[in-house]
Amino acid sequence: MNFHASSVGATRYVGERTPRKEDSRLLTGRGQFTDDIQLPGMMHIAYVRSPVARGRIVSINLEVAREMPGVQAIYTQADLAAIPVQMMSFFFTPIESPVSLLADGRVACVGDPVCMVIAETRAMAEDAAALVEMEIEEETPLVTIADAKTGPLVHPDKDDNIAAEMGDEDMLEEAIQPLLDKAPHVVTHTIRHQRIAQSPMECRACVASPDGSGEMTVWMGCQSPHLAARYLALVLGLPQESIRVIAKDVGGGFGLKNIPWREEVAVVVAARLFGRPLKWIEDRYEALTASSHAREQEVTLTIGLDDEGKLLAAWSDYACNNGAWPMGEDANIAVHMFMWPAHKLPAYGFVTRGWYTNTMGLGGYRGPWAMESLIRETTLDKAARKLGIDPIELRRKNLIYLPDQPVTSGMGIEVTDITPGECLEKLVANVDVAAFRKEQAEARKEGRYLGMGITTYIEPTGSAGSMQPMTGETVHVRIEPTGKVVAMLSTHSQGHGTATTMAQVIADRLGVAYEDISVFEGDSAIGAFSPGAAGSRQGVIAGGATWKATELLADKVRAVAAHLSNASVDAVTIDGGMVHVEGAPEMSRSLKELAEIAYGEPGRLPEGMATGLEAQFRYQPPPMTMTSAAHCCVVEVDAETGFVKILRWISSEDCGTVINPGVVEGQIAGGLAQAIGQVLLEEMPYDARGNPLAATFKDYLMPTIFDVPDFEYLHANTPSQTIGGMRGVGEGGAIIGPPTLVNAIADALSPFGELGGKKGEVTLPLTPSRILDVIEQRDVSGHSAHAAPVPAAAPVSAPAVPEAPVAETAAPVPAPAASASIDGDWDMTLKAPMGGQTFVAHFETQGTSLSGYLSAPEGQQDFSGGTIEGGRIKFEVKVDKPMKITLKYDIQLEGDTITGKCKMGMFGTAKVTAVRA
Amino acid sequence: MSEHKIELTVNGHRHAATVEARTGLGEFLREELGYTGTHLACEHGVCGACTVRVDGVAMRSCLMLAVQADGCEVTTVEGLAAPDGTFHRVQQALQDNFGLQCGFCTPGVAITLATVLQDNPSATTGEMEAAMSGHICRCTGYQGIRRAIRQLAGENA
Amino acid sequence: MKPAPFDYARPSSIAEACAILSEAGGGATVIAGGQTLMPLLNLRMSQPFILVDINGIADLKGVSRVDGGTRVGPATRQADALRDETLARHLPAFVAALGHVGHYQTRNRGTVGGSVALGEPAAEMPATAVALGATIEIASVSGTRSVKAEEFYLGPYMTALEPDELVTGITYPDWPDGHVVLFREVAQRPGDFALVGMVGALALDGGKVSRAGIAWFGMGPTPIRARQAEDALLGKALTEIDADAVAALAVADTAPFDDHHASAEYRRTVGKRIFARTLRETLDIRSAA
Repeated sequence: MNFHASSVGATRYVGERTPRKEDSRLLTGRGQFTDDIQLPGMMHIAYVRSPVARGRIVSINLEVAREMPGVQAIYTQADLAAIPVQMMSFFFTPIESPVSLLADGRVACVGDPVCMVIAETRAMAEDAAALVEMEIEEETPLVTIADAKTGPLVHPDKDDNIAAEMGDEDMLEEAIQPLLDKAPHVVTHTIRHQRIAQSPMECRACVASPDGSGEMTVWMGCQSPHLAARYLALVLGLPQESIRVIAKDVGGGFGLKNIPWREEVAVVVAARLFGRPLKWIEDRYEALTASSHAREQEVTLTIGLDDEGKLLAAWSDYACNNGAWPMGEDANIAVHMFMWPAHKLPAYGFVTRGWYTNTMGLGGYRGPWAMESLIRETTLDKAARKLGIDPIELRRKNLIYLPDQPVTSGMGIEVTDITPGECLEKLVANVDVAAFRKEQAEARKEGRYLGMGITTYIEPTGSAGSMQPMTGETVHVRIEPTGKVVAMLSTHSQGHGTATTMAQVIADRLGVAYEDISVFEGDSAIGAFSPGAAGSRQGVIAGGATWKATELLADKVRAVAAHLSNASVDAVTIDGGMVHVEGAPEMSRSLKELAEIAYGEPGRLPEGMATGLEAQFRYQPPPMTMTSAAHCCVVEVDAETGFVKILRWISSEDCGTVINPGVVEGQIAGGLAQAIGQVLLEEMPYDARGNPLAATFKDYLMPTIFDVPDFEYLHANTPSQTIGGMRGVGEGGAIIGPPTLVNAIADALSPFGELGGKKGEVTLPLTPSRILDVIEQRDVSGHSAHAAPVPAAAPVSAPAVPEAPVAETAAPVPAPAASASIDGDWDMTLKAPMGGQTFVAHFETQGTSLSGYLSAPEGQQDFSGGTIEGGRIKFEVKVDKPMKITLKYDIQLEGDTITGKCKMGMFGTAKVTAVRA
Repeated sequence: MSEHKIELTVNGHRHAATVEARTGLGEFLREELGYTGTHLACEHGVCGACTVRVDGVAMRSCLMLAVQADGCEVTTVEGLAAPDGTFHRVQQALQDNFGLQCGFCTPGVAITLATVLQDNPSATTGEMEAAMSGHICRCTGYQGIRRAIRQLAGENA
Repeated sequence: MKPAPFDYARPSSIAEACAILSEAGGGATVIAGGQTLMPLLNLRMSQPFILVDINGIADLKGVSRVDGGTRVGPATRQADALRDETLARHLPAFVAALGHVGHYQTRNRGTVGGSVALGEPAAEMPATAVALGATIEIASVSGTRSVKAEEFYLGPYMTALEPDELVTGITYPDWPDGHVVLFREVAQRPGDFALVGMVGALALDGGKVSRAGIAWFGMGPTPIRARQAEDALLGKALTEIDADAVAALAVADTAPFDDHHASAEYRRTVGKRIFARTLRETLDIRSAA
């Protein structure tokens, strides 16, 4: 792709380490974070939270608390219910758990908000909160995934404790197990990932100010003011225009802040009820114990390989502890989609479940599907050790390189331009692996244990057009009459530096100085809808939109200049804020002169041309843009203490066009630091009573400057198919970091045995105690005494079957008595991975053949060629979104209800239910 | 719940106020005096975001009461740059090296490094890094901060 | 996370402070540097009626030589103590341990007395006081008394200090010139409380150990003196010392616990190793000299 057309000047900004526009205010204490907002008459909120994990609220006595100085109001759910709220997931689908803003009769986890105290100061609100008397009839909580499988229902009105599930259990027996049985080598590996507290440095925060009649201005720590405004309007049933969300500076998001959650929505509702501005600033104790958590996953992967190390088949069984109130039942569920598209793997199947428990609900966290790379890359290394094959060679045998593409994976994902293999080659060309192996062997003789981990991964970034909030981006750019440039974007930076990178694109494409560009963002009143920072998308989509909008603006500048100079448009160039006409230096004008004409002297413009100098473009990129990387990490493990020292870390990533290497490397580094925290330090444990045990940063160990080595970077720069050629890079470090470090540690400890011990289970974080378990081949950490057994997930012999009281996935059974006619409309629900989908199914039968359509507000999908025999209905629907898949329905009619399942390609199998419309 | 009259100087400006005994210095600087550059990110003395300089010494403003600052000279991040807006060399080094992303921890980091350099203008990389152990940054992986430190130490060399 | 309301007093003398503590009848808490107390106040885990700020009492600050020892005023800032020449000369073990307390910013405000008096079992300064044989001087309206460090610590954050009492000084006895300093700790990050740590001193006379004082931190509910190890070392020539055997005796005196950062077995296993390694390295250097 030709990045740099000749119409703009010679100065390049894209690709430069341009200093960030955001820094001046942030370095001088003049940023504007939510807690910096002070409004006349503003009151402060403190929440009263449940001290127990599960129970019935018998009574709440507010009398004493209400008498405290400064207290204005104390609300319970009964008060807030005056404004009905239907909480939704990130995908704008209704939350399925019976979540309310404040506890409604029951508490389901420690930290559940029960009351809201409104007072003149936060301290006064806390004084009163301490005096609220709650009587809760405590019940035994379900804390672990194992508890959820066997215990009573977390939510009494649900059928089971399964929050969400994907995959096809039948596939193991039908398709995968026979291949595994024939495989010369079978390797099984289990990883238990601990619960993480996302811990942005700025805790959650919300200021809500009711303005006028029914309007509301909300300042909020969020990842997109537009998404937050749309979310608030939807859950409150208000017109979106009535809510304006402002978030100029936000101190980190990392997925936690991708939607407003209970506390923030409650502030907005309370502000409407109370009629005055309210502020809630979450404190760190709340943030650690009562903000949505992340991870807490258990996954077992089994792979079959031939004697050369080529993959033959794989099966994975995954579960996550979704807590009581996940921010969407699918939180941390969709981990299998990108497990294998970069590998030549003939057959893959999986089953995955999220479980409700009486712990804090899960939310998003950087790289929510990261577990797929962690289990894949660690299992591949284990296989390499077992087969005696170099782990790099094992990857070379199985990875899909550029000449192999386009190719469609077994799960139906087509890849056209992924480069994990190319990144790997670039990496090993820059790391002397042979020299390291020699050094490692020498060191071992001295009792020093060095290890190297090498991994690859791919990541779908810049997703657009496949799921509700994942859209394109609109950019408006204009040259003001002053000659300076202003851009209005719906991007949001919680550290991403989008004002910087977008200004670089504008400077580059327009031929103006970077300093002359102002970027406005961070306000739902600016720009059009976009989900902001979500899924590594802003550089790709907003970057592409800015690229194109700026080129349109440059075209207009050139058209005006050509007209004024009576020259050809092709003769006009813009450089350094000056407009030049080839061969006529006397015709050169500054952009300011040109802008004054464009705004003030319409008569001098070409006939029919709009005045002003502005352009707007909404960019709809391809549905996904893939980013690839390979990483290498070198560690030394101290065999006496079990401490891990990271000696070297090299990233070889391909994020296409790099707008600003400083920003790109910053994203990679931040993700890697979080990865190091996950592997070595961070953990949010719960005790058996459901109490979170890391309530301060003394106990929740965040990585410090001494825990993170200097990272080295290699950039591959294969342009993507998007405008500008960018690929997303926000999450990659957090995805590839954990397996790289775990593999390095496993390599270091290989003289002692497998990191997972005899059972093949690795539990994170790899604390010094757990490292000594491996080195000493005994239970130093007390692991066996404390940890619950991993569910029987390994599929070597039999598929895992959920224990009672879990309801069996509805499956077609032989036809009972022939049912009534199916013809007509049905309200059908598909329990799909990204929340439930409800639509109208219309059936028409002719004998045993079936046709019809599925209709939802987004559109209608016709089908034909189906069958109906004895009430068993089979039909197929082809869809393009989120990618090309064929939905295979297999359902059973019984009277006025239909139940069954739908196979959804890579998305696994969903439950289907329907009733007559 | 006693109240106390205090006088202090912040960034060269004199302030008098009446404070509740329990009001923390950081909260007082933010809420009463409007120096919102000082960020409270943990309020239990671990993260370092609220670090300010009190009588020439860097300390946690969440671990000190406003009443204890009576008579003190306080410098916050707003007081680091020159009156004409020229960055302090620590601020410049942080910007030059992409030493900040979200910027929430940054005020404390800047105060700490500026204070180490104030006490010892030829402070080494090791001395500055050691002082950084008391700061948590969730965004940068400390890469840009470490490069900034090397730049500052290099200026010294 | 804001403290519950309290009154605040800033006495200028020990007598005035003791009078306030006495009047409060147990409802007062002394604040020195506040680096541990302030988080407890902010979290409302500590809710005194009155906070007694001793930073204005000049008599509680500074380092002085006394008969047979070095006296540290409890309100002496940790950063000041680290720079103190008297401490560097007479109490190198104290300085070695103090360098691991907290962070640059907290040492600027935190005090020696605060760390000693609080009784955090995984902290460096209580164990150092026990190991070196310090005496803790205490005042109240009823008079003054002294408590040996070893008898001062009763349990996690529990000490022999009564609610109306104030620590007025910590006196560390002199150790002979040229004594050996032992210090090592294992902590996950700089400034963290140790998973396990040990501190102490050995005096040598004619090539033999003439005096030993060693204590553990992070190995039980209080700092724990490694008494059996001390006994085993006494009278031994450096070349006769079996570091592993002594370390095993040292661990035998401990009562470590499990938490999510490390297991008791880890603490015992690694404690023994760092004890032996520290002893061996220190004695090797000394033997070679």
